[in-house]
Amino acid sequence: MTDLTFLALATVTVASAILALEARDLVYGAAALGISFLGIAGLFFLLDASYTGVFQIAVYIGAVVVLILFTVMLVGPQLGEPPLELKRLSLLVALLISLLLGTAGSLTSAAAFRGPDNCSAGCDLIRLSTTLINQYGVPLEFLSLVLAAAVIGALTLAKADRKG
Amino acid sequence: MPDPISQIIQLVTSTYFLEIVVFPGLISIAILGAFFTWFERKLTARVQLRIGPLYSSPVGGILQGFADIIKLLFKELIIPEGADRFFFIMSPVTALIIGAALLGLIPFAPGVQIANVDVGLPAFLAILTLSPTLVLLAGWSANSKFPFIGGLRALFQQTAYEIPLWLSALGVVMITGTLNLTGIVQFQQNNGWLILPQALGALLFIVTSTAEMERLPFDLPEAESEIMMGWQAEYPGPLFMLVQGPAFIKLYAFAALFSTLYLGGYLGPAIIPPIVWFFLKTIVIIVAIMLFRSTFPRVRLDQLLRQGWTTLLTLSIVNIVIAYFIVVGVPAI
Repeated sequence: MTDLTFLALATVTVASAILALEARDLVYGAAALGISFLGIAGLFFLLDASYTGVFQIAVYIGAVVVLILFTVMLVGPQLGEPPLELKRLSLLVALLISLLLGTAGSLTSAAAFRGPDNCSAGCDLIRLSTTLINQYGVPLEFLSLVLAAAVIGALTLAKADRKG
Repeated sequence: MPDPISQIIQLVTSTYFLEIVVFPGLISIAILGAFFTWFERKLTARVQLRIGPLYSSPVGGILQGFADIIKLLFKELIIPEGADRFFFIMSPVTALIIGAALLGLIPFAPGVQIANVDVGLPAFLAILTLSPTLVLLAGWSANSKFPFIGGLRALFQQTAYEIPLWLSALGVVMITGTLNLTGIVQFQQNNGWLILPQALGALLFIVTSTAEMERLPFDLPEAESEIMMGWQAEYPGPLFMLVQGPAFIKLYAFAALFSTLYLGGYLGPAIIPPIVWFFLKTIVIIVAIMLFRSTFPRVRLDQLLRQGWTTLLTLSIVNIVIAYFIVVGVPAI
């Protein structure tokens, strides 16, 4: 059952992520991105990390996707980026980058996230929050820059509109 | 191994299935939604010294909601030319699913709760953040001016109320030390209702949740006298029902959440069963929110944004400070 759920969620996540990149209509792309984020949240739930899953929904769909949609609608599809050429090349680059990132992540993760608090199923939420604030305070702050990045991206797109 | 038929019977008669389908699940949501449409029209009419719905049943037109549903169902389904069919149809359907999901998290009585999630409160609020996105998609997909303006207004409005809404609920979490809605109710069983220590938080919560529900005085995305129902303008009969449904479900869910957070949920003297207590409190809140509609004029968008980012945000931070002093000042907690 868990395997099936995982497979379904993973398929939805990956398929909608591809759609988010490839969709002609930017609005569909943004909506697909939202569905992909939902799939990731589902994967978090599957890992018993419901707290992370809930905030994945709130931050990524509630804020990031909304900002992207907002900008896309203000800019209008005709002013969006034209479909990229050299798709094969970009696919290759994407594969390479993800391989590199994956390798780097697997190499560093054991070192980076070693700690006394091994949060498994039934983990105490209070303990998790204390750990997050005490031990991972700085990484947490850096993660919160995601929203700033989204705002900057949205502003850039909206500004390009005025020039054009 | 039992045969499939007996398995199906077992599933249909199981408590879990009954909770999802009958109460507090889908059927009761539909009936209460129809009831609340009548109730709101009757209440608003009474406030304005009118009579309101009268003919749909022997007793004060109480079946008006059902009559409306039947009428809307038999209207022709017209999708506007140039509309994006996928989003135009999917947005109200998804909104309905979201509304039903919200009610799944509420503890109606001890043990009567579809999903007792560890992180019930943020889950409720996180599911809610999806709804302005759907409003925007619905407004955009109609390919028409007023719906699009309404959709954009919904997003602007979200930036104004979202942060104060989360922060006002944070006070409750700080005091109770749990995100679980049942846990919050149990805390109030031992320590009294939270409306007294969290009066400011409760006030902020009800203001921001009125904005979230797009109800007067914050119904900017709809604003029938300005932009003709805004994002709902192009919806034909049956879909309009799907658009209106989530509005009432959200009202019900928010009132239920308010009574869970601040009024002790299903707690009360044992003369009346817990579930009745719960509904009494919820209906009081619903009446209050409905009376806002007949009392206050609509705010402008810039007023809402300014107040959201100045007054509401400041007050919600003040509320967090109050909660901090309550937690630190009472070591027994």
